[in-house]
Amino acid sequence: MAKKAAYMGMLTALAFVFSYIESLLPINLGIPGVKLGLANLVVIVALYTMGLRAAFTLSLVRIILAGFTFGNPASMVYSLAGGMLSLLVMVLGRKAKLFSVTGVSVLGGVFHNVGQILVAMLVMENANLAYYLPVLVLSGTAAGVLIGIMAAILVKRLKKAIGDLGY
Amino acid sequence: MKKNDVILIAGILLFALAAFGGLSWYSAASTQKAEAVVEIDGQEQGHYPLEQDTTVDIQLVDGSYNLLEIKDGKADIIEASCPDKICVNHHPVSKRGESLVCLPNKVVVEIKNGEGMEVDGTTH
Amino acid sequence: MKKKYIMVAVLAAVIILAGVVSKYSSQGELERYETTFFDIFDTVTSITGYAKSEEIFAGQAELLQKRMQHYHEMFDIYHTYEGVNNIKTINDAAGVEPVKVDGEIISLLKLGQEMYQKTGGKLNIAYGSVLSVWHEYREAGILEPENAQLPPESLLKERAGHTDMQKIVIDEGASTVFLEDPQMRLDVGSIGKGYAVQRLAEYAQEIGMEHVLFSVGGNVCAVGDKADGTPWRVGVEDPNAEWQGGYRQAVDIVGECLVTSGDYQRYYEVDGKRYCHIINPDTGMPSEYFPSVTVLAKDSGMADALSTSLFNMELEEGLAFVESIEDVEAMWIMEDGEIHCSSGFKVNEEE
Repeated sequence: MAKKAAYMGMLTALAFVFSYIESLLPINLGIPGVKLGLANLVVIVALYTMGLRAAFTLSLVRIILAGFTFGNPASMVYSLAGGMLSLLVMVLGRKAKLFSVTGVSVLGGVFHNVGQILVAMLVMENANLAYYLPVLVLSGTAAGVLIGIMAAILVKRLKKAIGDLGY
Repeated sequence: MKKNDVILIAGILLFALAAFGGLSWYSAASTQKAEAVVEIDGQEQGHYPLEQDTTVDIQLVDGSYNLLEIKDGKADIIEASCPDKICVNHHPVSKRGESLVCLPNKVVVEIKNGEGMEVDGTTH
Repeated sequence: MKKKYIMVAVLAAVIILAGVVSKYSSQGELERYETTFFDIFDTVTSITGYAKSEEIFAGQAELLQKRMQHYHEMFDIYHTYEGVNNIKTINDAAGVEPVKVDGEIISLLKLGQEMYQKTGGKLNIAYGSVLSVWHEYREAGILEPENAQLPPESLLKERAGHTDMQKIVIDEGASTVFLEDPQMRLDVGSIGKGYAVQRLAEYAQEIGMEHVLFSVGGNVCAVGDKADGTPWRVGVEDPNAEWQGGYRQAVDIVGECLVTSGDYQRYYEVDGKRYCHIINPDTGMPSEYFPSVTVLAKDSGMADALSTSLFNMELEEGLAFVESIEDVEAMWIMEDGEIHCSSGFKVNEEE
């Protein structure tokens, strides 16, 4: 239990740090809240080593923490939409047992951006933002592949090092 | 990476490509045509597509008027009650952002949409 | 197993919630608004800005319009206003007595003196008595084009004898202005608008506006950039537009001002020849070196004064003059459509 708590704390801190790094990256596509999704790496690791509940808690805590620290209420809403939709799809993707970590990560990356653009369209009441969709799907895929490969390595090594902490 | 991952990525890329193609076709098809927007004292009175020849009699409450002619894709004020006739002397306008102004009557005819650079303001 | 489905349901709910919450948080977004009015400086004024709501913008625009109306009254040479000593008051008291005026008029006149020095007399705010002659003949010529005439040379010459800048006596301590020459008249048409726009831009920042574009009859002045971080794009009207149409050139500005002087806006024709409203103090005749010149500068008053001065200079002289002043750029459009720019002038051309 203590081991699990420590592990969880470490992952949360890591996700938080990734959020910080991301807030420093000058990526501006003209759409608020659309980002790389580095923190997704930690969420995937949590999903594969500790399970759905931990991943969900981690993601939520990370978004709220980062939102209050580096962002504003508006950017938090975007993160929440992107993060939750992405997690939902990743959970389904994992359950389907069709894909490896990479495939699941790609799904997460793509739907992270899709979630954010959907909220942006709602907030700005501007359907024209849909024109960004292809670009965002592509960038989500790219980020997803990179993060997925890293996550796959991490998950393998972590499981070996500390065992499966999930269910 | 599994084979399924590759299929997934390929599928997503195909989707993005299709979406891109579809959207650009849609946007090309729905590009708005140039139109002349008539405003009196900042209040929009109406808009008239440039591709349709017509004559618009812009009447003011005090009896002043400007006669706007749309012909061959250009808008021109051909007659007006104002004393200075600056609006009448102005050349016909057709490109986005161009405007005809009648100061005494507070009438502005501005070209919206269509071809031409999009600008926030103009200097003349 | 069931627990997981509950979890999925919770996730879906959170997403929907996020959408709903975001609807209400959208009030923090800046929207773009524009307002236009017609009764100031005898031209069209438009103010484009960003605000969180239309009410906020309307409030700010009203403050700006009021302030502008005040400048309009102070710098007017044709009308008197109750409780305002303006340029006309000074003119009416020429040779009679000093007139107590607002500090803004003093600073405007001092800008006029400074620019007279800088431009070697190409800009002369004491040129009113000559300008009024041209004004009269132009108005008459526009009303009855068939009877349009040029002012008689003798009259112009006689009036040109009453345009000595030295005869403007400014007493800053008492805040008074006195014209020693009873025949002399001030005309601040070449700098008044620019000065007012500059002061308005400063005022806009004071009342919390960070992104504004003023356009007062061709005097364009930007406060900051646009709310999305991109510069304001200002089209330069092409005098050759009769066959070109639209804006061939556009300039991107952030916190800068752009002023054009041209011969195609206010003019009249005598025997088929065009006579514009800008009169060269050296000759007493309308300038006809080129159709238009556009000046880019940090200060709108200076840009306004310089555009008029450059319009009264030949291209080569003007180019050398602009290069000698820091932070000022200019673009000339010639009769044949050719375009000349000073070394630091960046133009976006339409492909």
